[in-house]
Amino acid sequence: MEVLLASLIALALSAGAMSAFVAGNASVSVAATVFCGVFVQALPFLALGVVVSGLIAAFVSAEKLARWLPSRPVVAVALAGVGGAALPGCECGSVPVARRLFGEGVSGAAALTFMLSAPAINPVVLVATAVAFPGQPAMVVARCVGSLVTAVTMGLLWQRWGRAEWVTRRLPAAHDADASRWTVFTEAARHDFLQAASYLVLGAAAAAVLRVAVPAWVFEHLAGHLVLGVLTMALFAVVLALCSEADAFVAASLTMLPLLPRLVFLVVGPAVDVKLSAMQAGLFGRPFAVRFGPATFVVATVVGTVVGLVFLGGAR
Amino acid sequence: MSRGTQNTLLLLVGLSAVVMVIKGTYLHFVKPALLPWLIAAAVVLIVLAVVSIVRDLRHAPVEDSADQDAHQHRPWLVWLLLVPIALTTFVVPPPLGAHGAAPEAVAATEPQRRPFPPLPAGRAPVVSIPDVVMRAAADSANSLDRRPITITGFTLRYPEGTDLGRVVIICCAADAQLARIHLSGPAVAEAAGYPEDTWLQLEGTVVPGTSAASTNFIPTMAVSRVTRIDKPANTYAY
Repeated sequence: MEVLLASLIALALSAGAMSAFVAGNASVSVAATVFCGVFVQALPFLALGVVVSGLIAAFVSAEKLARWLPSRPVVAVALAGVGGAALPGCECGSVPVARRLFGEGVSGAAALTFMLSAPAINPVVLVATAVAFPGQPAMVVARCVGSLVTAVTMGLLWQRWGRAEWVTRRLPAAHDADASRWTVFTEAARHDFLQAASYLVLGAAAAAVLRVAVPAWVFEHLAGHLVLGVLTMALFAVVLALCSEADAFVAASLTMLPLLPRLVFLVVGPAVDVKLSAMQAGLFGRPFAVRFGPATFVVATVVGTVVGLVFLGGAR
Repeated sequence: MSRGTQNTLLLLVGLSAVVMVIKGTYLHFVKPALLPWLIAAAVVLIVLAVVSIVRDLRHAPVEDSADQDAHQHRPWLVWLLLVPIALTTFVVPPPLGAHGAAPEAVAATEPQRRPFPPLPAGRAPVVSIPDVVMRAAADSANSLDRRPITITGFTLRYPEGTDLGRVVIICCAADAQLARIHLSGPAVAEAAGYPEDTWLQLEGTVVPGTSAASTNFIPTMAVSRVTRIDKPANTYAY
């Protein structure tokens, strides 16, 4: 507590000097603004996410959820994927929610599928995509199908090969039996916010630094070839860490690229990026994040490409 | 890290959102539509923090499982929350300028031409730069042809002349892009006389046919009148 007070006083005293430094250095200034942009934009969605995860902690236990879910993994995972459409928001909110829903066996796979599908196929995101790509409904359909297939595939992969011991972060154990639902709710929301937000800081910082450090020509030069274009856009999605409600507009503006790599960008972005991986490391644990992130990247890139070839008719 | 410190940091994150809303500095980072959500988030965080602080005061320091959990897992990471608190409340980085925005013309979607709604009535209606770029590239109703309009933005130099630009954000500063219009016409010399990054209000007419693949869908406007203006409080266009 004393350290915190001292830091705050130091901050207040040095604010003028730091502002001048940031304003005087163009790259630092851009990085700082992008960092604040990602953090401030994510804050409301994170707050919504931890309210939902708090409610889940208070009213739904993983065991209860397992009882509601169909016992056949394929059906359960598919149901969770479609259910993702019910949580309108960006991807930041769905990580804490999925962590609360996460349990042994089928409910674990279903929670992960939900986490990947919710930010990508909810109505707000699909409408945004339709607005960004006027006259190209195939793009909306392809995005929805691509993200859903990615989410379900990852759920099934987890069901088959996932190990509970990779999830090293334990949620705070349920309080005393006499704890009121209000106490459980506030404690869960508080814990999830602190965990997710501090990792969000790491992720937002990574996105801000990469944005300044990676020159734009890298993307423009590699864009000429289809395979390189797809890979570039997939990496671009990871690096930029855009909100899933905004990425369609960014993809729409990258006119030097054919539609297919841009679809891959839209399928990869909401599923895996630097800020999401950081938040997953915070709520699920690092052994989980280092396996789940790259696996999701590969699955999303491949699924995005295949779905694009089917729905968009190749590399137009 | 003690629960008390964690709760205080939680409270401070909520309060920094309040400060951003009151001072209007949130507009450096996100778009105005986020305002109600930002207020709601601030309320949620402050309530959570106050409830936790009050509970800990009432029930003495219960070293509960949550706290032990935090001790096992790099509790220092929660200190990172000081970074956004410091940046958004004390440092307040400026809005992105031309340097920080992605160089693509924002509205250069494939010219899927469609009719746009007519421009507002009046002699020279105010049209935002991204709207002008979009209409010039894709309006099948040709609403810009032979119509004087007024645009606002900052000056930008490029090898062959002067542009008027505006940074466009869709969600937050991370997706910022630059929308620009080349300048020509009788008053272009006056506009070009100002140093880079001067805010101007220009009146003129978009030259038909200048928005094409060869110009990267950057239209040219024939400027007839130049007015220097103050930098607006909200520098982004949406």
